[in-house]
Amino acid sequence: MLQNSYVSNPVISARRLLRSYGSTHALNGIDVDIAAGTAVAIMGPSGSGKSTLLHALAGIELPDSGTVTLNLPGQAPVEVDGLGDSARTKLRREAFGFVFQSGLLIPELTAEENVAMALMVNGVPRTAAIARAVEALQQLGLAGMEQRRIGQLSGGQQQRVAIARAQVTGASVVFADEPTGALDSVTGSEVLDILMQCTVGMGKSLVMVTHDRQVAQRCHRILTLQDGKITADDSVVQGPRS
Amino acid sequence: MNTLHMAWMLARPSSSGRIVQLLTVGAYTMVSAMVLIVLGGAWSFTKLEGDAQGFYIPLAAFALVLLVVPLLVLGSSAAKLSARAQDRALSSLRLLGATGLQVRAVAVIQAAATALVGAICGVVLYLALAPAVALVKFQGEAIGTAIFLPPLATAAAVLAVLLLSVVSALAGLRKLVITPLAVATRRSVPMPSWMRAVIAIGSIVVIYTLFSKVGLLPVGLGVLITIVISGFGVGLLALNLIGPWLVAKVGTAKLKKAESPEQLLAARMILESPGGAWRQVSGVAMAAFVAVIGGSGAAMFAFSENDVAGSWEMYLSADVLTGVLVTLSISLICVAISAAISQCAGTLDRQDLYLGLHRLGVDLGVVNKARVKSVMIPALTVAIGFTVASAALVLPFASLALLLKPLTVATVLVVLLAGLLVIRLSLNIADPRRLLADHSGR
Ligand SMILES: Nc1ncnc2c1ncn2[C@@H]1O[C@H](COP(=O)(O)OP(=O)(O)OP(=O)(O)O)[C@@H](O)[C@H]1O
Ligand SMILES: [Mg+2]
Repeated sequence: MLQNSYVSNPVISARRLLRSYGSTHALNGIDVDIAAGTAVAIMGPSGSGKSTLLHALAGIELPDSGTVTLNLPGQAPVEVDGLGDSARTKLRREAFGFVFQSGLLIPELTAEENVAMALMVNGVPRTAAIARAVEALQQLGLAGMEQRRIGQLSGGQQQRVAIARAQVTGASVVFADEPTGALDSVTGSEVLDILMQCTVGMGKSLVMVTHDRQVAQRCHRILTLQDGKITADDSVVQGPRS
Repeated sequence: MNTLHMAWMLARPSSSGRIVQLLTVGAYTMVSAMVLIVLGGAWSFTKLEGDAQGFYIPLAAFALVLLVVPLLVLGSSAAKLSARAQDRALSSLRLLGATGLQVRAVAVIQAAATALVGAICGVVLYLALAPAVALVKFQGEAIGTAIFLPPLATAAAVLAVLLLSVVSALAGLRKLVITPLAVATRRSVPMPSWMRAVIAIGSIVVIYTLFSKVGLLPVGLGVLITIVISGFGVGLLALNLIGPWLVAKVGTAKLKKAESPEQLLAARMILESPGGAWRQVSGVAMAAFVAVIGGSGAAMFAFSENDVAGSWEMYLSADVLTGVLVTLSISLICVAISAAISQCAGTLDRQDLYLGLHRLGVDLGVVNKARVKSVMIPALTVAIGFTVASAALVLPFASLALLLKPLTVATVLVVLLAGLLVIRLSLNIADPRRLLADHSGR
């Protein structure tokens, strides 16, 4: 039943995406809609084009051809592929949140400053940004660690900081590329819980690349890629457990 | 696969590797050219007439001593950049099963080869610049061909640059074994203590008292120069104590006031290593010191000019001023080049992070502004701080100079300001938007 609902209310629609690197077809004609408020897992063997698809959907890299349309609630649709580099950069920092395998946290800054940075680059004054960052960190179980530098946090704690940063701006879509890939399974599943709570748990969409079927099973829907094509599109019956 | 073969394979770079290699060669080119020009200038004094030599050679030696620090900073940034360029390639060699000895040999061969290419380009650059430098006048005459070092001395300088590259390649390797080069720190950085400031201010007070007494004593020129030079020595030691402390203080103040992302990041970058930030711009402190004290000196000598018309001493005031301006310019140029090089190294070191931040929607312009500020804030602090401190140190001379020879004082200050501008411009080389352009999507 989810299979139909995503089409009616897509936050992102991609059509006929093509991307090749030399003779490799990283994206070989992809059509996909991401329904608002759902979690979509992207699976597939290494080199099948998962990251490339994520980057195209998020406006990080442009496809060679095809369209990506963003339909944010209350806003006019945006053709992501028609935007220049700086417009896409702006779009990413305002509308999207990201969690990558390596946290991409700035080592000179404290945990709260890393989170606040996401707000500050959007023009939020420092004091307000720090206050919201502290609140976000505390909600993710990092109370007392706000002032620590990144090197003083464990891998799982660092990923929580990254999640706090992805969610603090109120982004309507969060993209995650193997967010638990560098963590042990226990820490990984804790981080995943938090990621689900912060996204679909709050009505946001989540697009997550993962190698782990158990992780994928927690999403509403699993896309399987093979050689740049979607070879399976399964809805998960029991839905996300968050 | 033998070691030379491996070194050759690694020398054929990827597109980003090529930028780094060009930068590294460029860095060694600048180091060698600067060293040769400085040595050539000093060498030219040995061609002066006998009487004048007694006065000029100690001053030239003194200028050389002052320039050693900025030149060393420049050399070590070149070496660091080269080590960073090798870092990844070498780690992967290790993973491929090369022995430690092989890795070491490859690193040394590569570093020395890069430095050799750079040094040869440096000699060419020195020969190209020499005619311009030779226009500088001492004793009323242009330096002319005296700027050219004897071939043996040139070769020795090239060898010294090579040696520097080998030593730093080995030092870099030791780091590679102990810790990865990335400087993600695990603990908070200890702040330089206020004790430094106390010691430094204490020694400045001592020098000050000494200097104010010296003016009253009927001592000869030789004694005066000795006292001034040893005063400089103590002063430089004091500088090194107070510098990191001062930079840390300003960094803390900037951190408190920071409103924009780039201000916050810049303040944190400075506080990450106040000592490092200080070393980067210590040449500016030196320049400020030379500017004020040398500038006042030049103005002082001008008063005795009428008594000595016709002898070599009639050029003293003009020549001291020239010497000051040359020393000033060279040390500021060294700071500019080494700051550019080490910012490049830093940016390349953080390549993955910066490109990742760009993916998250952070403009690389923000990162660039932060990096520029992290150099310019210490540079300006140090320029203002040490100009004021040096002026206080020789207050009677400085105020007299300002009153009687305002043009001399203005010239020196303009060169100092121009130097700061050159430092700012040189940082454009390290702009991540350009340096990492190949990789930042389309
Ligand atoms: N910048 C690039 N230059 C050249 N080829 C690339 C580039 N990026 C991706 N590719 C190629 O495109 C294909 C898809 O890459 P992609 O990174 O999307 O795979 P992936 O499914 O995310 O793999 P993994 O699970 O290993 O992360 C691969 O064959 C890869 O080699
Ligand atoms: Mg991938």
